[in-house]
Amino acid sequence: MAVLRTFLYLLVYPGLLFLFVYSTFCEWFDRKVYARLQNRMGPTHTGRFGLLQPIADFIKLMAKEDVVPEAADKRLFSVLPAFALAVVATAGLLLPVWNFDLARPGWASFPGDIVVILYLLSLPTLILFLAAWSSTNLFATIGGARVLTMLFGYEVPLFLAVLSPAILADSWRLAEIAAFYQAKPLLLLVNALGFLVAVVSVQAKLERTPFDIPHAETEIVGGTFTEYSGKKLALFRLAFDVEMVVASGLLAAVFLGGFPGGAVVGFVHLVVKTLFVIFLLSLIRATTSRIRIDQVVSFSWKVLAPLAVLQLLAVILLKGFLR
Amino acid sequence: MKIAVFLPELLRHLFKKPATVDYPFQKLDVPPDFRGTPYLDPAMCIVCKACERDCPAEAIEITDVDPAEKRFKMVIHNDRCIHCAQCVDSCPTSPKAMKMDSLYEIATDSRLKLKAEWVYVRAVLKPKAAAPAALPAEPKA
Amino acid sequence: MSFEIPIGPQHPALKEPISLRMTVEGEVITGADIRLGYNHRGVEKVAEEKNWTQNIYLAERICGICSHSHATCFVQGVEKLMELQPPKRGLYIRYLVSELERVHSHLLWLGVAGHEAGFDSFFMYTWRDREIVMDLLEMITGNRVHYAINAIGGVRRDLDEGQKAKVLEGVATLRKRSVYYFRIGATEPSFVARIAGVGMLSLEQAVALCACGPTARASGWARDVRKEDPYAVYDELDFAVCTADTCDVLGRVVVRVKELLESYNMIEQMIRNLPGGDIACKAPRKAKPGEVVSRYEAPRGENIHYIKANGTDKPERLKVRAPTLGNYPATVEMLRNGFIADIPLIFAAIDPCICCAERTVTLIGARSGEESVVRMSDLRRRALARPENALLKRNAVWPF
Repeated sequence: MAVLRTFLYLLVYPGLLFLFVYSTFCEWFDRKVYARLQNRMGPTHTGRFGLLQPIADFIKLMAKEDVVPEAADKRLFSVLPAFALAVVATAGLLLPVWNFDLARPGWASFPGDIVVILYLLSLPTLILFLAAWSSTNLFATIGGARVLTMLFGYEVPLFLAVLSPAILADSWRLAEIAAFYQAKPLLLLVNALGFLVAVVSVQAKLERTPFDIPHAETEIVGGTFTEYSGKKLALFRLAFDVEMVVASGLLAAVFLGGFPGGAVVGFVHLVVKTLFVIFLLSLIRATTSRIRIDQVVSFSWKVLAPLAVLQLLAVILLKGFLR
Repeated sequence: MKIAVFLPELLRHLFKKPATVDYPFQKLDVPPDFRGTPYLDPAMCIVCKACERDCPAEAIEITDVDPAEKRFKMVIHNDRCIHCAQCVDSCPTSPKAMKMDSLYEIATDSRLKLKAEWVYVRAVLKPKAAAPAALPAEPKA
Repeated sequence: MSFEIPIGPQHPALKEPISLRMTVEGEVITGADIRLGYNHRGVEKVAEEKNWTQNIYLAERICGICSHSHATCFVQGVEKLMELQPPKRGLYIRYLVSELERVHSHLLWLGVAGHEAGFDSFFMYTWRDREIVMDLLEMITGNRVHYAINAIGGVRRDLDEGQKAKVLEGVATLRKRSVYYFRIGATEPSFVARIAGVGMLSLEQAVALCACGPTARASGWARDVRKEDPYAVYDELDFAVCTADTCDVLGRVVVRVKELLESYNMIEQMIRNLPGGDIACKAPRKAKPGEVVSRYEAPRGENIHYIKANGTDKPERLKVRAPTLGNYPATVEMLRNGFIADIPLIFAAIDPCICCAERTVTLIGARSGEESVVRMSDLRRRALARPENALLKRNAVWPF
């Protein structure tokens, strides 16, 4: 019984099947909101309202020819997309979707899992850099250098911002943090600044405008993805979609009060809260233009990091006050 | 620093109808003088060949079929046509023999399907008369 | 560690093929080498085989965005050669379409500048408003691009009252939207951070490198063919030459939006003062021998056509100098000391119309200084011989 439950957890919900289907739905939602903000239609004809468009794109890419450059390191080049997908899917398993009875935790919820999920979410950046490096293409090299430079910008504000609610809730376990804020919802407002900083940093992690310099299409062709095509590109894109879902799930669990109420109600909470975060991400994408790499680093260290530190300070003071 | 000065405009558009049209399920109307594809009205053509001479793309070809009966063939190569309507302007008859319609969805999978042909007898147009036609002079006895 | 990045001939930032080879160190550009010729179509040679009427359409197809400017520049020159005086109404309609074309071209450019900077929402909005102009042009001339409204001696179609009212309505809407875009373009922080201080071209450099059009006007150099050498109706219209003095891409955005507002004023003046009368006069088939230089202010700068006639119904020589060709030397200077991330913006800021600029070139031997024109048979022979003496192709210089 426990074995069956574990398999369902791994493969169906919140495992691979759920992540695959839900991430394509989130990509559809993102594209539709982005299009409507720009006064156009977005995906319309594949499936009702264009819901099947991201799946159609995935199938199209899987069917295309897969070219590996001659000078590239073949093994590294080929295995990296699958590796990226594996990493973000594992991160997805740690989201507190089944309302864990805190007295009898499952195997996927343990103290310190917030740190593990943050670590797993920062691996795709390194994987992108390795992908760029193993492509031996001039544009990919520049893209890879930019990816790492951006990492120095947004990681610190993201960590500080996500860890502030954890400090207030006095725990390093996602399920406990979510339960704490479900019990005391007013304390969510204390973390509003941290939420904003975290949303901007997640936008940088997912490499969307204004931070999409590493694969800026009009400057360096495809950046890190220049030499990828066919199945490998399809897996990379899927990995990025899943990363978007997992990152917004993390933000929803920590800043928006988690997913209480058991299987069905918890699922509804999950959908509503992650779509809210993705709506904010799309709004940022539509409002701004791409900024240069030096401007990213200066913006992160001059604006985002001080705000995150301010948030941390506010939380520590409040904690001392509440005691 | 004005952050997101664009934001209210963006959010307003969430509730407006999209500006794009769901082509090909919905089509836009073209204005009346739209330059579509040229076609011939054989009853008016006097075979002056002004259209053939002035076409920039050499898309009009007029050949003799039967000189005795004054029968001619005109081929309009719609795959070469650049839709400039110079042939309509050069045509000296009134009403014009060369006309322009409003078709723009003429794409097809082979160039040979885009050629249009007419075989006709050259028209003899009466000269324009300002007054009623004069009676033929009576032969003097 | 300096290596060479090839931008083009195929690149998502470019709409047409051109090769810019940049030598970079880190992210800073130290030199640029522009190579043309990928879009050469032999237009000038074909023009010698077609008669005057057919050449209007050929000249129009040198470019898609500034099609009317090439056709009008050509027709102006031919009318001078044939000593024709087109009627006033025809001239008003012709230059009304010119100003509408300027509006459509600047709105297109605003969108492209936004897209190159990553600001896709701005791109979508400006192009949506450009549809208003395209519909007006379709209504007046019968087509959205390649208007073909010029005939030698005037224009081919007339304007009626309903069309005049629609044009005024469209211009009123566009004026409101353009003022809004001016505010966005000049104040949205992420966009301004990309375009301010980028692509500096000082006034002395602009004059020395013969920049033209908005590129030169953004450096404070007030040159406009419509004011210096007013042709046809421009001496009866009231407008100002728009300049900016920031000498960078932001200045060029400001100049183009100001020109949009000036064009709206000019369109309204032309519609209100449209004289009655004929729209064209009859043109002879042959032109007397002679040569003429015709200048025109295209949306991108000064467009020059040189036409030589020899008494027949075909020109003897047509030479086109498009404004983009005049801006290329200035581009090389602007690219120096910029970042890689700024390349698309700097290049897009001169509003490149690459196919306009692909004309015949004369090879001048560097040491001997003698001119030669290369024949097609020579080029073919050299191309076939190339594989034997071509350099070995190498991948990117791998630093380790």
